[in-house]
Amino acid sequence: MSTRLSFDKSLYAGKSVDEAVKVFAAHATFALEETPEAWVVNVTANVESKELRLTRELSNYALGLTVQSRGTSK
Amino acid sequence: MTDLISLAPKLDTSSQAFFRFRNIPNTTKTLITNYEGFYALLSKEEFERFATGTIEPNTPLHQRLSENNFLRATYDSKRAADRLWSRRQMLAQGPNLHMLVVTLRCNESCVYCHASRATMDRVDTDMSKETAEKAIDLILQSPNPNLTIEFQGGEPLVAFDVVKHAIQYANEKNKKAGKQLEFTMVTNMSLMDEEKLKFLLENRVQLCTSIDGPEHLHDLQRKLPRAPGGDGVGRKDGAHATAVKWIKRINEEWQKMGLDPTLYRVEALLTTTRDALPLWKEIVDTYVDLGCRALFLRPVDPFGWAEKTERKVEYPREEYLQFYKNVVDYMIELNAKGVQVLERYAAIFLSKFFGRDPNFLDLRSPAGAGIGALAYNYDGRVFSSDEGRMLHEMGDSSFEIGHVATSTYKELVGHPTVRSEVLASNLDGQPDCVNCTYNPYCGTQTAHNHKKFGTVFGRTRESTLCSVHKGIQDYLFERLAAEDPKVLDIFQKWTTNRPRTHFLQPTTPA
Amino acid sequence: MHHSVTTNLSNGSAAFTVDPSLYPLDALYGAAYVFIDRCFVFLEKNAQGHVVVSLAPKKGPADQPTLEKWAGEFSNELLSCAWRHQIAANNKQALEQVTSLALAGAMGPPSLDDLSNFDFSSQPLEDPLGIAMSWEEKYKKKPKP
Repeated sequence: MSTRLSFDKSLYAGKSVDEAVKVFAAHATFALEETPEAWVVNVTANVESKELRLTRELSNYALGLTVQSRGTSK
Repeated sequence: MTDLISLAPKLDTSSQAFFRFRNIPNTTKTLITNYEGFYALLSKEEFERFATGTIEPNTPLHQRLSENNFLRATYDSKRAADRLWSRRQMLAQGPNLHMLVVTLRCNESCVYCHASRATMDRVDTDMSKETAEKAIDLILQSPNPNLTIEFQGGEPLVAFDVVKHAIQYANEKNKKAGKQLEFTMVTNMSLMDEEKLKFLLENRVQLCTSIDGPEHLHDLQRKLPRAPGGDGVGRKDGAHATAVKWIKRINEEWQKMGLDPTLYRVEALLTTTRDALPLWKEIVDTYVDLGCRALFLRPVDPFGWAEKTERKVEYPREEYLQFYKNVVDYMIELNAKGVQVLERYAAIFLSKFFGRDPNFLDLRSPAGAGIGALAYNYDGRVFSSDEGRMLHEMGDSSFEIGHVATSTYKELVGHPTVRSEVLASNLDGQPDCVNCTYNPYCGTQTAHNHKKFGTVFGRTRESTLCSVHKGIQDYLFERLAAEDPKVLDIFQKWTTNRPRTHFLQPTTPA
Repeated sequence: MHHSVTTNLSNGSAAFTVDPSLYPLDALYGAAYVFIDRCFVFLEKNAQGHVVVSLAPKKGPADQPTLEKWAGEFSNELLSCAWRHQIAANNKQALEQVTSLALAGAMGPPSLDDLSNFDFSSQPLEDPLGIAMSWEEKYKKKPKP
């Protein structure tokens, strides 16, 4: 079982998604791909029952980093 | 009621200088204020003439608007700048108020305790003398020439050795720093004794306590164990009787020292709980009987135990505002009979209306967090406000900006959190506040916003702080609009600031 | 704002759409950031180019009223951020001046230690007018070719 997470390029910074994947690397296997519109992350959690939680944590982290990377004044 | 939409076809925007307007509830008057903080109360007809640019020159209305910088043709930039500077100059002076939490331990148990007090066996929550010294070294680096060190807790009398040491150390170090230094202590008085009192009097320490109202309410909300107290004597009095005994005693001592008894009194603070609301008259009478000249009707805050006991102590803010009006109406009645007692919020706001800003840190823009005040916790952690420190005790350290052992003064006040708070509490950047008629007189609190909304900016329209500030100002302008000479005279007296110079520490050059 | 809130109680989430022509992206980020400590927030775009915001609870399942309350609060925060974004742009100069005044005031003047510790090396010192040059250096006779 794995979960496909699609981060829209107009909403998420690619670097932030990469960074989030690195942070959660110990807890899951990640397969990354890129489409014209999105950064796609296929997540297979080490513990299947935690996959939903893991994908949500990853998404939050990527969003947080995206917001922070824009600064507050823009 | 007046509004601009009905006047739209006739509006003339070429004659007015910048203004904001608000219809004052329960009156037929419209309040206008400008950026620098002048105000005018206009009748419906006057406001229409103002908005439509049809005021005849050489009329009293023209003169009144002109004097207050509401007309473009006679706008006095220097006057505007002076007025604005009188409000903003304190921003350039640096932190004046420094709160030292000398212990978290407290022997009283209050239903709304904002400070998250610790029990009396938690000696690990006492500040060490070394930490106090390091805090004072930082405090004396503030560029502000006037510094107040406020001892609080917990109950500071529990750690009186630290208080004594801090006062002696600060005075010694101040010989070189040369600041106008004052000390204040916020205490429940229950552990006061002759020796401590002698030291506090000799060292000119201002004393401030809490009185929640009449004895039954105070003792219901503030539990003082009637077991042996810190003086080792079996205690037969409750929290109220104990506090009252020492308030009277201290007031007498100050009088014996030749100090003006109308000026030198123990200050007492009220935390307004739900149970206090119906007791507005009893509360005022209690304060007057105690000889207190001022009452500060602070609503309960969402910090410390007050969050856990919210269902018991909280109330809708409309009920608070009715309570507020009842109290101040009654105070005005008393003043008219010669009894001198004022409400602090009213005094602060009225002073601002009249152009004399008292620099109250929670009612200014930007607010005082970090740039007007700093809080030093018992363990040496430094916070940009006391509320920020309270949040830390609740598990949220968002407002921690350093440590006395490792941070420099400039690192503290230049901390990114302080910068964010300065930006976030500037009302010229806040939705709603930016257009609010009360903008020149008001303020917001970043820690309160963070707690309630998860952001230092908050959301003004949903904020209880905003409803309280707006409600009080509406009420005060309602009273001003009535133009009752007796009330105007009382309000003027409430804004008269008589400095209490006895509390300034004597300075001896090193 | 959002046309409707769709709640999915089985996975405990609420979703609603935001029209990006009404709200700047920075306002959306601002509101999302306020919520990431209490919710899981996910943003995606639908076929109309609207942003779909999904909120899921961090702790335990959430009932329908809670999910709808979050969506409502998010909407309020979004509006607040959008307006603040506009005000910050309009009042930029005044806000910057007051902030500088307050922070510089709190810091006080630089001390001699501050000046001696200042790292000039990381900032190339441009001196097009030759102000930092000594008079002798600036006006010395050029060697004859």
